[in-house]
Amino acid sequence: MNDNMNDNVIVSDHPLDPARLRLLASLADTIVPASADGRMPTAGDMDLVGHIQQFSPEFLTELPQILDCFDTDFPEQDLDDRCERVKVFSEAEPALFRRLLSRVYACYYQDDQVRTAIGAGVGAPFPRGNEVAPGDLSLLDPVMNNPITWRR
Amino acid sequence: MALASNAPVDVLIIGAGASGAAVAYSLADTRMRIVCMEQGDWTRPSEYPSNYPDWEQQQGGEHSIDPNVRGRPADYPINNDASPISVVNYNGVGGGTILYAAHFPRLHPSDFRVKSLDGVADDWPVSYELLEPFFAANDRMMGVSGLAGDPTYPAKQPPLPPLPLGRTGETVARGFNKLGWHWWPSDSAIISRPYEGRDQCKNLGPCTSGCAQGAKSSTDITYWPAALRAGVELWTNCRVREITVSDDGMASGVYYYDADGNEQFQGAEVVVMACNGVGTPRILLNSTSSQFPDGLANRSGLVGRNLMFHPIGFVQGLFEERLDSHMGPQGCNFLSNEFYETDLSRGFVRGYMMQVTRGGGGPFATAMQGAATGAIPWGPGHHDAFQARFDHTASIGILCEDLPEQHNTVTLDPELVDSDGIAAPKINYTLSDNSRRMIDHGVARATEVMEAAGAIEITGGGPARLAGWHLLGTARMGNDPATSVVNGWGRSHDVKNLFIVDGSIFVTSGGVNPTSTIQALALYIADTMKKNLANLFD
Ligand SMILES: Cc1cc2nc3c(=O)[nH]c(=O)nc-3n(C[C@H](O)[C@H](O)[C@H](O)COP(=O)(O)OP(=O)(O)OC[C@H]3O[C@@H](n4cnc5c(N)ncnc54)[C@H](O)[C@@H]3O)c2cc1C
Repeated sequence: MNDNMNDNVIVSDHPLDPARLRLLASLADTIVPASADGRMPTAGDMDLVGHIQQFSPEFLTELPQILDCFDTDFPEQDLDDRCERVKVFSEAEPALFRRLLSRVYACYYQDDQVRTAIGAGVGAPFPRGNEVAPGDLSLLDPVMNNPITWRR
Repeated sequence: MALASNAPVDVLIIGAGASGAAVAYSLADTRMRIVCMEQGDWTRPSEYPSNYPDWEQQQGGEHSIDPNVRGRPADYPINNDASPISVVNYNGVGGGTILYAAHFPRLHPSDFRVKSLDGVADDWPVSYELLEPFFAANDRMMGVSGLAGDPTYPAKQPPLPPLPLGRTGETVARGFNKLGWHWWPSDSAIISRPYEGRDQCKNLGPCTSGCAQGAKSSTDITYWPAALRAGVELWTNCRVREITVSDDGMASGVYYYDADGNEQFQGAEVVVMACNGVGTPRILLNSTSSQFPDGLANRSGLVGRNLMFHPIGFVQGLFEERLDSHMGPQGCNFLSNEFYETDLSRGFVRGYMMQVTRGGGGPFATAMQGAATGAIPWGPGHHDAFQARFDHTASIGILCEDLPEQHNTVTLDPELVDSDGIAAPKINYTLSDNSRRMIDHGVARATEVMEAAGAIEITGGGPARLAGWHLLGTARMGNDPATSVVNGWGRSHDVKNLFIVDGSIFVTSGGVNPTSTIQALALYIADTMKKNLANLFD
C-alpha cells in the first residue's frame, strides 16, 4: 500500500477524518491488494470515498458502522493479520461485509489502469464499443452437409 | 400525446410493445384513426446504463428486468409467490423489446402441429407456411441478422449478415462439431451492418438494459417511427383499467388513467389488446360486466389459463483460453436444434433449443459472482482467481417447450394493486414433470458439449428463477369457442370487435424465443383485418 495515498484529498471537505480514511484504505488494500508482479494496483490506492460519494452516496452512512468494527491500529498490522480480522468481520456481519465488498470491487473495476490491465476497455461501453472477432464460419461445414432435418 | 376526446376512434390498441407496434404500423395503411395507449413512456437511450462507467451496478435498481425491483410509475407489481419462475418485462414504448436479448428464432413448422405430430396439447389454427411472408416482412422491418441455410428450418434469408461468433462461439461450436450435433448462428434482431438509418452493433455487452447504440431492434426505433409517420397516434402514460361493452355485446371503449392519474374514457370501434401474456388477461379479467361477469371475452373460462413460460436450464463452462465473454451481443451467438423435435426415448415429449451465449458479466459482476460462489476470494488470491474467470466463460441456455396446462394461471391478486389501484396479476405456475425431465436432459447434454469443447469446470441447473421472459398462452387461439379465446385471426369469439395480438394467443409455446412469431402473428392478424374490413364483425 502506498503510504502517501489520498494525500491530495482536501480533508476538511471529507466525510472521514484522516485516521478513518487511512483505515478504510487499509481495508480496501486487504480486500484487493496489489498483485505480486505489480501489474495490478491495490484498491487501497483508489479514491474509494470519492467513488462512493459519486455512485452510491447512501453507503456513506454505513461506513462509520463498518469502520467501528476495526481497531485504529488495523493499518499497521501485516496483511495476514488484516485478512484474519476482515474474515472475522465478514462472518460476524455478512450483509454489511457484502456491501463493503461490492463498493470496493465497483471502485476497483472502474479504474482505468485496472481495466486496461484486465483487457476490459476503459470507461463506459458506449460509445467506445468492443472488438469481437467474426469467427470462422467454415466450422459450419459439417452442419451444412447434414440432410434437411426440419419436421414437416 | 394528442388530446383525448370522447369521440370514438376507429382502432384503439392497448400496449406499445412488440406486437402493438407491429399491428399499429400495418393498420396505418387503412388511414383509419388509430390510437395506441401505452402505460409507460418513451425511453431515452442516453439513460441506458451502457452510457455510464458504473453500468454494471446500474443494471439493478431502476434498470432491472424485474418490474417488482424496477418499481417505476409505469410498472405494475406482479405476485410471483406461487411460481418457481418470476415474470420479467418492460413497460414503456417498445415493451419487452427495450430489454430483450433480441435472440430472434422463428417457431418451427412442427410447433404449429403438436397434436397431429405428437398427440399433445393442440394444433394451431395457423401454420408456419401461412405466417412465412409475415416472418419475412417482420425481419425486414425490425432489422434481423443471420445466416441462410440452417437445415433445421425451411429456407429463409435474413436481411443482414450474421453477428460475429467471436472466440466464445468458435470454442463452443468446436464442441458441437466433435459430437456431430446441429448448431447454427442465431437469427438476431440486432443489426450487423448499418440499416435504415441505424448504425451497426458495436458489441457493447449489456443488451438487456437497453441498447445505447440503437443497434438492437426494439420497436421504439423500428416500427414506431414508421407508424407515427403514417398517422398513428401514440398516447403515452395512459394506463387502461378496463374495456367497456355496450348492450349489443361489442367493446365500446376503455377507462384509463392519464399521466396525471385522472380517470378518462375513450370510445373505440375496434379494440386491439397488445399488453403481453400477463397484461392482457389482467385487463380482460378486470373488465367485468353483467354480460361478462367472469371477465371480458371469457365465456370459455380460459382467459388467464394455460400460462406458458419457457423453463430455462443453464450451464456455464470455464475455459483455459481467453474468450470474449463480457462483450456483446450477450444473448445472440448460436443455437442448436439437436434436441428440438420429439424423441420419446429421451423421457419427455417435445424438446428444447440450446442457446449459446457469451455468458459472462463485466468485471464487477465476475468479481461479485465469484465472491458468492467462493470461486474468486477477496484478499491475496483475488487476482489469479479473477483472471482465470473473467472473459473465460461461455454459457448455454436450455429453452424448454412448456406445454399448456390449465392450472398455470394469471389471475387478479385480491390485495396487491398498482399505483392507480388496478388489481395486480398473480401467477400460479407449477413446473410439469415433462419440463423437469427436459431441463435435466438439457443440462446433461449441455455439460457434455462443454466438456467436448474443452471446458475445465462446468456448473449448471434450472429452472432459472428470474427468467419469465416469455409470457404465452393466456388467451389462446383456436377454432372452437369452447376451448379458445380468439379465433384463427386474433378476434375474440365472444366480442366481435375485440382482437388480441400479443403472446397470450399462443396455443403452444414451441421451444424458441417467441418475439419473432408474436410479431409475425400480429402482422398476419392486421393483414386479415384489412382484408375483411367490410365485414370485420360478421
Ligand atoms: C430481459 C428480457 C429478455 C428477453 N429476451 C428475449 C429474446 O432474446 N428473444 C425474444 O424473442 N424475446 C425476448 N424477451 C421477450 C420479449 O420481450 C417479449 O416476447 C415481447 O416483448 C412480447 O411482446 P408483446 O407485444 O406480447 O408484449 P410487450 O412487448 O411486453 O408489450 C406490452 C406493452 O403493453 C403495455 N401495457 C400493459 N398493460 C397495459 C395497460 N393496462 N394499459 C396500457 N399499456 C399497457 C406495457 O407497458 C408494454 O409496453 C425478453 C424479455 C425480457 C424482459
